[in-house]
Amino acid sequence: MVLEIKKKIKYTVRRFNKQRQLWLLCIPIIIWVVIFAYVPMYGLLIAFVDYIPGMSIFDCKFVGLKHFKDFVFNPSFLLLLRNTLAMSLLSLTVGFVAPIIFALSINELPHKRYKKVIQTTSYLPHFISWVVAGSMIYMMLSNEGIVNDILMRLNLIVKPVPFLTNGKYYWVIYTLANIWKGIGWSAIIYLSAISGVDMELCEAGAMDGMGRWGMVRHVIIPTILPTIVILWILGIGGILNAGFEQHLILGNASTQNYWDVIDTYSYRYGIQLGYYSIGTAVGLMKSLIGFTLVFITNRFCRKHLGTSAF
Amino acid sequence: MSRPFYIKQTRAGKFFDILNAVFMFCFLIVVIYPFINVLAISFNNGQDAVKGGIYLWPRKFTLDNYEYILKGTTLIRGTIVSVLRTVIGTVTGVLCSALLGYIVSCKHFAGRKFMRIIFIITMYFGGGLIPTYLLMTKLGLVNTLTVYWLPSLFSAYYMLLTASYIQNIPDALFEAARVDGASELRIFAQLVIPLSVPMLACIAIYIGVGQWNSWFDVNLYSKNGRWDNLQIILYRMLNQASAMADMTDSTMLSEKMRTIQPLTIRSAITVVAVTPIVIIYPFFQKYFVSGMTLGAVKQ
Repeated sequence: MVLEIKKKIKYTVRRFNKQRQLWLLCIPIIIWVVIFAYVPMYGLLIAFVDYIPGMSIFDCKFVGLKHFKDFVFNPSFLLLLRNTLAMSLLSLTVGFVAPIIFALSINELPHKRYKKVIQTTSYLPHFISWVVAGSMIYMMLSNEGIVNDILMRLNLIVKPVPFLTNGKYYWVIYTLANIWKGIGWSAIIYLSAISGVDMELCEAGAMDGMGRWGMVRHVIIPTILPTIVILWILGIGGILNAGFEQHLILGNASTQNYWDVIDTYSYRYGIQLGYYSIGTAVGLMKSLIGFTLVFITNRFCRKHLGTSAF
Repeated sequence: MSRPFYIKQTRAGKFFDILNAVFMFCFLIVVIYPFINVLAISFNNGQDAVKGGIYLWPRKFTLDNYEYILKGTTLIRGTIVSVLRTVIGTVTGVLCSALLGYIVSCKHFAGRKFMRIIFIITMYFGGGLIPTYLLMTKLGLVNTLTVYWLPSLFSAYYMLLTASYIQNIPDALFEAARVDGASELRIFAQLVIPLSVPMLACIAIYIGVGQWNSWFDVNLYSKNGRWDNLQIILYRMLNQASAMADMTDSTMLSEKMRTIQPLTIRSAITVVAVTPIVIIYPFFQKYFVSGMTLGAVKQ
């Protein structure tokens, strides 16, 4: 018995010795991940207390769900919810379908070279920052910009439309800007799904007299459907993420009633005004709802569509 | 997949092809036009540019805007900070991701599962903006360059990417080196890194572009403006522009440069901020895409 334990210890020590170097390399990594990933998770607890900077979380007054309640019963809550849902629903419908249609159209282009050029250019905007994109959008939409100029030349409007200072247009601008920036990039994943289409299926279909539209409808779309479903589930989870950087850049004081979403509210209260607990509570609530939504949609899709993300 | 030969080309199909090609051409213009427009405005005389009507080519050509950028210390400093954070962030980020990827793909290492799990958890849960911000304040990272690269040193996503690549390298190679008495760090430096260059290039591009483009962390952590980068300077100019549409910032304009307008300066900064991306873009776009599809498979 004693001998056996001794043997076991000896084995473990030897094994550890052999891996000593790897463990040594792991130590700084573990320290890093604890500090930069796990300490902020612990920091979420400030959502439940009246946090005062510089004090330990446990010394602060515990208030339970007060900050969550305050947020929900806040008069501006409904406005935030409206903006958030409106913009994310626009992204989930128009913004979601656009890359699919784009990928299908690229796929139908006859010339290989042309196809390549279009595709390569299409994801250039993805790699520029929102600040740069915003700067370009300002130039396009300003009173002297090309959009107003074209509309005036077509006699659709008499004087320049102040697109960026009139809240009415904000949601449309936001959606179009997102599409402009992301369409090519999002299409990549659909294009790679399309490249997995079973050629035998196409041939069989052609034998039975299927045309091009039929091919798209009965072969290509069913092939990429699982991809679409997965991305849609993930999109539902992000329904409360209705943009953040975009609003800080494209929004201004006169359009605030249209761009103020949960994230910008959390940022404004939490960081700019220094109400750390309120900001954290809002952010935490948002991610919890997102999580729940992913699970619910995932279950729904598994049950009714036969595909799911996990 | 393009149209296979066995599908008949009908008249409607031909019509669709033409329509599709034309539509795609319009799309191409919509994507490229803003870039050309900004370039044209940035080379135009300021007072002339605010009248509008500049599209593809400057009307009154001038280099004043770029001269102004080169003279202003803030902008030069901003460019240096941008370059600095991109270089430091990319080098450290790539090396650390690769090291972590190697550690979690070492088949004989008992802790690999543990390391994998503590990182994968961070993919799903996070502290969010405010706790992270408070932590950085507490660690004294505000107003430093460190805050731009240290908190993003490792990431679970890049760990998975590198690990899946390193796993495909034959294990016998590492084993042979170990038998010959090479240390793990040496195996990493002399075997893993040279063997996974394509993967590392892909990650380097992602991290590099991210570093060059980021402005929000600068907005949070560069309180005294010492470490402002180009993007944040552009952001502040945009905010000013939206606050006062026809403002001429007298503090920013020296007496002899009355002709310069915020609009043209903004375009010039935009051009400076976007040029590196546009230049590297054609050379690295295959890496962009390979990373995207690799990540998609992993998910």
